[in-house]
Amino acid sequence: MNYPAWDVPHIGSGGIIALIAIYHVMISHFAVGGGLYLPLAERKALRENRRDWLDQLRKHAKFFLILTGVFGAVSGVGIWFAIGLANPEATSTLIHNFVFGWAMEWVFFLVELSAAAVYYYTWGRVPDSVHLKVGWLYAVVSFGTLVIINGILAFMLTPGDPWLTVAGTGQESSRFWSAFFNPTYWPNLLIRTLVCTSLAGIWALVTCSRIDGAQHPDLKSALVRWSAKWLIPSFGLMPFAVGWYLWTVPESQRALLTLGVNTIGPGAFTQVTRMALVIVIASATLVAVVYALAWRSPRDFRFGHALAVLALALAATAAGEYTREMLRKPYVVGNHMYSNGLRAAAADTPEERSRSYLDPNLWLDRSPGVEPRAAIGEAMFRGQCLACHTRDGYRSMKRLLAGRDREAIQNLLAILHEHKPDSPYRAFMPPLVGTADEINALADYLASLDTPAPSLASGGAGTKQ
Amino acid sequence: MKWLKSTLWPWLDERLGLEDLIAFAGKKTVPVHRHSFWYYWGGLSLFFFVVQAFTGVLLLLYFRPGPEAYESVRQITYDINFGWLVRSVHSWAANLMIAAVFIHMFSVFFMKAYRRPREFGWWSGMGLLMVAMVFGFSGYLLPMNELAFFATKVGLEIPAAVPGIGPALADLVRGGPEVNEYTVQRFFALHVVVLPALFLPLLGLHLWLVQKFGNALPPNEETQSPASRRSIPFFPDFLEKDLAMWLIALNVIALLAALFPWDLGQPADPLKPAPSDIHPEWYFMSSFQVLKLFGRVFSGKLAILGEFLGIGLFTLGLVLWMLIPLYDTASPAGRRARRTTYFGLIALALLVITTLWGYAALN
Repeated sequence: MNYPAWDVPHIGSGGIIALIAIYHVMISHFAVGGGLYLPLAERKALRENRRDWLDQLRKHAKFFLILTGVFGAVSGVGIWFAIGLANPEATSTLIHNFVFGWAMEWVFFLVELSAAAVYYYTWGRVPDSVHLKVGWLYAVVSFGTLVIINGILAFMLTPGDPWLTVAGTGQESSRFWSAFFNPTYWPNLLIRTLVCTSLAGIWALVTCSRIDGAQHPDLKSALVRWSAKWLIPSFGLMPFAVGWYLWTVPESQRALLTLGVNTIGPGAFTQVTRMALVIVIASATLVAVVYALAWRSPRDFRFGHALAVLALALAATAAGEYTREMLRKPYVVGNHMYSNGLRAAAADTPEERSRSYLDPNLWLDRSPGVEPRAAIGEAMFRGQCLACHTRDGYRSMKRLLAGRDREAIQNLLAILHEHKPDSPYRAFMPPLVGTADEINALADYLASLDTPAPSLASGGAGTKQ
Repeated sequence: MKWLKSTLWPWLDERLGLEDLIAFAGKKTVPVHRHSFWYYWGGLSLFFFVVQAFTGVLLLLYFRPGPEAYESVRQITYDINFGWLVRSVHSWAANLMIAAVFIHMFSVFFMKAYRRPREFGWWSGMGLLMVAMVFGFSGYLLPMNELAFFATKVGLEIPAAVPGIGPALADLVRGGPEVNEYTVQRFFALHVVVLPALFLPLLGLHLWLVQKFGNALPPNEETQSPASRRSIPFFPDFLEKDLAMWLIALNVIALLAALFPWDLGQPADPLKPAPSDIHPEWYFMSSFQVLKLFGRVFSGKLAILGEFLGIGLFTLGLVLWMLIPLYDTASPAGRRARRTTYFGLIALALLVITTLWGYAALN
């Protein structure tokens, strides 16, 4: 244990990442997709001499600049803060491995944000051809930001064998490119590009919905329909892209998708299946609603309708990102580092697993009045469990342990510690590392969490993880 | 394609009267005004019912009434592929259906859509509401887990409180003095055969009446001149909007079922004492709480009086509610119209307050 554990009550440190990151994805993917939308729309307007389009696009560009330049940028940095606090080991690995990549990303961001500002503020002040070129510059550079971050995100699921063979040797950067263009890179890129083009259309629908259909019927009709068409690539290609993605995901991870098909039992890790179902229905509804409301009656497409479409996109996106994260369990870097920061090399043999976890024990609470054993138990919990569980909120320890007495908890910990091939938890939980003393202390701590007996409420609407 | 129009269609029309049906359907228009949003709720109630029928049939494939009820539901929830999904959709949509029916009833009430010539729409609707609530009550027991068992046991205290015939009535419903496997079988027969046989003809009558008379205009729209009233045809315009609302409802059900699936808990154990926080489902909480209150005020020798007053109050309320179309018949701004609206507001407020109070009073 090298770093302190970030203890966030009820929603967990992962929940903080989720809130910031999903918010960021809704905006950043608009930044990339919208970056293509604007010059394409501008070019069409210039060719067909539609001045009313250009006025509307300028308003859309202002909205775009503020939303992506301010909220997108802030939330992107927010992700840095959140992941650094929630999982410093993984963040450290990513930084050390992809320093060059991060440097490229920052260059792209710098050019992107400058281009966005120049694009908006020179509107009408420079020749159209120059203005359009700035738009294209933005489009290319912002796609570049997606190209880079995608490599790092995909690496977390599938680092690829070339990198894995040098992991931990200090020679990781020698495999930069194979780690970057790893097995899930290309399907991931396709999926994200499709999300970008869809969000470009959806956010454009938000701004177009505010056009007064009575005063500017032709403008609204044309722009709403043109924006709705941006969903067509996704509609056609997403099933193929997802199928390709799943084909490249390792078999053991793919198996997580099936855990929730025949059961919803607590502890069975069924949320990957259930969230995948949410993605499907939210996406299908999104397309149907955009067709029924925007395409069929563009003039009557109101702001409330656009917000409903945005809400559906948020549901699909949030479910998608959540599923992608859960698919990676028990790892944070596939086959290299578990979600709680433990390196696989330090945990995958019985000898490694039985070494002391807390030594050097920097993290024990030594205040007077705190029993050393209780401090050890709590430190074990914080280091190895808090990455995914909270005590009484999300994936609540209290609820999952419900009804088990001290001996049953000890047996559960033994299963986790032995990490045998037929352990039902192996698919989604790291092995438990520590000496017998440390594990006993952890069992004491968990037993003290005051787990309630299964209540009447457990027969009704579930309080699922 | 041309053959369909020139040959098949006239052949079918001559034998089935299809052109008449289309003419009947094509007449209907839906008024467009500030309160048009409330016109969706009848359709939503229908949609939820269709979901219930569909998922109900799927559950019927695996559910075993009688002594194996719990085990069959356990298999559905924890063994059979997507059984948990079908069951969770069925449970959630049941609650959503009754909520939608209540919203529909109150919006019809406050828009005064029970007035001439729509009285039978109101009465058939009230019949549908009551059958729906019995659907809910009977279905709730079927899993025979602790929650179902104790909720039914305590819920049957409501009919048992009817003066004189109450206990016999409760025995009849239960199939004996206790809630057991015979009760499950009885409730199952009710839920799957008897209630649908009551519900479907009533529903048919209700929908035919709506089709015949169309949607009512709320009072403040009636005062506008006919020339300024906007409306759209039901087929296909309003139907498209209806379908969009149904799609949203489907998503709500799907989200609830996927994120908050229904667990099963422990099998019913009659030897256990009832948990202190036992209560029926939310749509019975009002009656439950009112009876509790009367039971507290009138205890000991006066208990019978308390039961009489409690049940009597509810029955009286229900009867008055049913007779509203015969009371509030005249012009929009008349005295009776105002009094009826206040009556409705008071009834709604009482229902909401006693329901919330019921939850607050649980330990």
